[in-house]
Amino acid sequence: MLIDTNVNLGPWPFSPLPDHTGPALAAHLAASGIRRAFVSHLGGVLLPDPMPANAKLFAQTRRTPALLPVPVLNPALATWREQLDICRAAAPIRAVKIFPNFHNYRLSSRRLDDFMAALAAAKLKLLLNVRLEDERHKYFALRIKGVPVADLAAFLQRFPSHHVLLTGAYKPEVEKLAAVHRNFSADIAFCETFKTLEFMLPKVPARQLMLGTCTPLLSTRGEVGKLTFAQIPARARTLIGSENARRFFDL
Amino acid sequence: MRIIDVHTHPVLDHKGGTPAEVKKLIAHGRRHGIVHMVALGDVLVYGATPNAAQLRAINDENAMVARLHPDYFTAFVYLNPRLGERATMAEAERCAALPGFRGIKLEIANNASHSCMRHAAKAARTFNFTILQHSWSTTNIKDRIHQSDPVDTALFARRNPDVKVIMAHLTGIGFRGVLEAKPLPNLYVDTSGGWPEEGLVEYAVEHLGPDRLLYGSDLPVRENAITIGRILGAQLSAVERQKILFGNTARLLNLKLN
Ligand SMILES: [Zn+2]
Repeated sequence: MLIDTNVNLGPWPFSPLPDHTGPALAAHLAASGIRRAFVSHLGGVLLPDPMPANAKLFAQTRRTPALLPVPVLNPALATWREQLDICRAAAPIRAVKIFPNFHNYRLSSRRLDDFMAALAAAKLKLLLNVRLEDERHKYFALRIKGVPVADLAAFLQRFPSHHVLLTGAYKPEVEKLAAVHRNFSADIAFCETFKTLEFMLPKVPARQLMLGTCTPLLSTRGEVGKLTFAQIPARARTLIGSENARRFFDL
Repeated sequence: MRIIDVHTHPVLDHKGGTPAEVKKLIAHGRRHGIVHMVALGDVLVYGATPNAAQLRAINDENAMVARLHPDYFTAFVYLNPRLGERATMAEAERCAALPGFRGIKLEIANNASHSCMRHAAKAARTFNFTILQHSWSTTNIKDRIHQSDPVDTALFARRNPDVKVIMAHLTGIGFRGVLEAKPLPNLYVDTSGGWPEEGLVEYAVEHLGPDRLLYGSDLPVRENAITIGRILGAQLSAVERQKILFGNTARLLNLKLN
């Protein structure tokens, strides 16, 4: 049984992707062996205020136990604290997700001090999205780059007592961070080379990697194949496929 | 499921060329159901615009791979049309005489709309070769001197309707590239390039039909489990899937595989 840490509901305006309902998304994931998934709503990435998208997320995941909602918050908005409370009241959430590059703030922002403290107080994990798309293929007018790896490194250093899950980082970025930092995990959605995991594991401990497919922007079956075909120790496969997520999210 | 991978670089950056490494690659391929690979050569090892001697060295190495395992590898001759007609034809002729060569690989020596491409077209006609042209949308990456936008590769195919052309990198050419290829029956598209962006494979089949899309991985730059899983996970019929993964390339290159 696999746990997917990087899944989305909702349409994406730059690509004709399926706009799944909750149950349809769960069935789509199950066809690739994924039994539980941490899901955000793509509307939260582009709307000026992510809350309408979070409301849709909660509505669509409420009756689908395989889908665990991860609301999107924007710490640059004046009301993030109030919005965090609304999200916690709406569903038993285990994490929130941030998109610093889409929401136009730097990770070095002082606002993050209060934000991280609030997450710790609420016993919530942070998912930090590095990218959603290959920068080369973005819509021509959407000039948004991935979160710089130097910013991620400084962020991890600044919050040593937090363990953060990075989603959408490239393989060289994960390897660079793993050489120095232990207080993060990374999903493998945007890590790819020949025999990805065989080449990654000597540089990144298996306990720091989690399955993430970036469904529906990337092919679920293709992304899962990266793990299921990998010729790696059974223990590493279990850690990456489910155990690390189980521990991180306290399932 | 039997698979032909139309876009591979068994030797890349001087690595992978020993007989033991080639054997290992075949074992890897068979594990994924790949029964045959098209070897395109170590194309960027001497930069974007290799000279004649560098082309010969790359093609000799590729010929060695095909000679060692003729049942498993078909080779494409790597050319730089900017070297002119005489050099282009001479290298094509030299490789056409070697076993296993069935096509021409063009990378980023020049844009596909450049007039020097007539030499590549002449070589393709003379030796009955299919041309595989590296292509990528230049909307964001620029550098159109070297990079061929799908518009450029489509223009080359339109100028040479009697030459069969593979526009490489479905993910790199994107939705716009599929539409460029749509009206040109001599233009094929391989499925390699970038992360497995959802929806593109189905879109390509919708617009090109199921007969002009060819499975390609671009190994060892990318991972076969992902590039194959993307086709297997796409909303396609079993017949369409078989054509993309095997039938179309077998027919295009006239491969007789047991
Ligand atoms: Zn290639």
